[in-house]
Amino acid sequence: MLGWMLVTGLLAAVVVRTRVGYPRPPRPTVRLTAPEAAFLAGAADATFPPGGALEPSGTEAGVVEYVDRWLDALPRRNRSLIRALLFLMEHATLVFPAPGLDGWRRFSVLRPEQQVAVLRGWARSRLPLRRLAFTSLRAVLAMAYLGSPAVLRRLGLAPLAIESPIHEADTLYPRVGASRDTIRWRAEDVTRGAAPPPVDPRGPLHPDYAEPRP
Amino acid sequence: MRGAPVGEVRVFADYADDVSEQADVVVVGSGPCGAVAAKELACAGRRVILLEEGPPFTPPDFELDGGLSMTRTMREGGLRFTRGTPLATMQAIGLGGGSLVNSAICARAPDFVLEGWCREAGLEHTTRSDLDPHYDALEKELGIGPTPENVLGARNLLFARACDALGWSSEPMPRNVRGCRGSGECFTGCRTRAKQSMDLAMVPTALRAGARVLTSVQVREVLHERGRVVGVAGRAVAPFSGRPGPAVRVRARAVVLAAGCMATPVLLRRSGELANGSGQLGENLQFHPGVAVTGVFPDPLEPTFGATQGYQSLQFVREGFKLETLWAPPGVLAVRTPGFGHTLKQRLLEMGHSATWDAIVSCTRSRGSVRPRRRGLDPLLSWRFHPEDVATAERALHVLARMFFAAGAHKIVPGVHGLPDELTSPEAVERLGRPLRASDLTWASTHAFGTARMHGDPGQGVVDELGRAHDAEGLWIVDTGIFPRSPGVNPMFTGMALARRAARALAEQL
Repeated sequence: MLGWMLVTGLLAAVVVRTRVGYPRPPRPTVRLTAPEAAFLAGAADATFPPGGALEPSGTEAGVVEYVDRWLDALPRRNRSLIRALLFLMEHATLVFPAPGLDGWRRFSVLRPEQQVAVLRGWARSRLPLRRLAFTSLRAVLAMAYLGSPAVLRRLGLAPLAIESPIHEADTLYPRVGASRDTIRWRAEDVTRGAAPPPVDPRGPLHPDYAEPRP
Repeated sequence: MRGAPVGEVRVFADYADDVSEQADVVVVGSGPCGAVAAKELACAGRRVILLEEGPPFTPPDFELDGGLSMTRTMREGGLRFTRGTPLATMQAIGLGGGSLVNSAICARAPDFVLEGWCREAGLEHTTRSDLDPHYDALEKELGIGPTPENVLGARNLLFARACDALGWSSEPMPRNVRGCRGSGECFTGCRTRAKQSMDLAMVPTALRAGARVLTSVQVREVLHERGRVVGVAGRAVAPFSGRPGPAVRVRARAVVLAAGCMATPVLLRRSGELANGSGQLGENLQFHPGVAVTGVFPDPLEPTFGATQGYQSLQFVREGFKLETLWAPPGVLAVRTPGFGHTLKQRLLEMGHSATWDAIVSCTRSRGSVRPRRRGLDPLLSWRFHPEDVATAERALHVLARMFFAAGAHKIVPGVHGLPDELTSPEAVERLGRPLRASDLTWASTHAFGTARMHGDPGQGVVDELGRAHDAEGLWIVDTGIFPRSPGVNPMFTGMALARRAARALAEQL
């Protein structure tokens, strides 16, 4: 009887810890659950806090939305691995707590300085696997932060507007997912003549990365 | 244009019903090796079908964001890892294979490498003089030449300056590019259409010669009857989602596998351990793990401009590593940037003043294997870094650090666990102290070879030096899996040269 009570109590604690009390993500998500979105928001802002010379915070730069889109594009098995990583890091404070008496709480509800301390602990751990987990998370966060057009513009690294010439291959292949009768180009459309000059790194940006018009 | 294509390209939308085709040769995989083989065979008048699991990409299909691009152009979304020593590795999926998203480096294998291959693998016809005619022909066909000075950009020119200052050899990178504009977007697909990737170069030529190209076809089995290979079977699969479509079956007098070093062994083992009499299929997996260092310079470098990898040094190739410049989509480069909070943000702001250079390490002692997973065609990879190869990587790291300070960097970011995030002098680099451990760095490599190695002794290799399977008649393998060991430099050009030779031999035989 006591055993069953212990097991039931433990299960209830697991459910409360992993499922209860998570806020709904500010914007609807395709793949991310509320706990995953909460963890990512915390990790993104611990890594990229608001303000400073590079202004947007992780959440302001759209890290959560980017990861949602990225997860949706991943094959199922790889998506599961990334989700396992997010779950692990959200709840690993049970084993590697943050500083302070309340350091055992899940990552997403820790104070920002505690979250930074936790991430720093993973980054500098003596355990290679722990460091590997952190490196994987950092890769996701960095990729997502620099997926923001505003951040790339500020860094001077946004893609340029480049007009692609019409190549013979463009008369052979349709766009991905389309049928061949949608091919727009014919042999007479193929661009001929000398190659254009090198791109101008200060030239206009690709429309997806250009400053939004007021 | 030299005449309109007479062959045809099919895409997923074309597969309403099951497909059954016949050809002289079916080539599996349209990467550099497979495309060269298909083109050579078609030009020799053979009826060729080229199968590719991915779709063709056009410029509007290129995703400019590095992470999202990889989900479309790389198998497993670009998240493939080895067990043992964790190493990130990739395999492209799309018409043109790796050539669609690589930086077009075409380096001939050095003499000492080819001599070693011949000596160790009992080869007689894989010498410099045997391969040079194939390298020469491909050079002409693909416009391979040194990167022009007007598209080098500051981060490549600083590399040259560093080598000059230290008295080391260096050279503009030889690449398969015509009219490069220095957009630095090789890894996400060349929007300027300057890179001579296989979908732009070899495939159209093969089509003009009458080849048929079936894209979005996943080959699941090599068909064989009484020890003779007779074709392949698989399914059409939707781009990106992999949703299965109608069945596809191609019967042919010969099957040429160019599915890649990590996929060919899985396919053959799933086909009843075909061509594995030696027990070497899927063994001897080798990589070129890279170490990269970022240097920060006082002046802005405008790093988005310039050939992606425009300069190299072969100074240390005999010691086991090759030095190169490197650029990648900013989100991918930034994954190495250490720190948190405003320190990290400050480092990101320095990216405009930064250059990243890397060394690819030959790792001739480190070994691994490729196995099929219980389900699916993705490989299960194991690989272990040999301590002596780690020592070579450490030496490469020191060399890169010296180069940055010689070029005028005021600090470097080594990206090594246990070291300071930034080092500000060459002396600090020399004082690094303890030897590097494999787990101190995050490793990655896109060069893989050895899993279907060629060997003069059928008991020790999967194919002979022409790529003919030792114990499966009608089966040829032409991807980099046939390399007996590391080529010492980037493998694409040597893979293409070997594929060209194999295809010519096969065309004669049919």
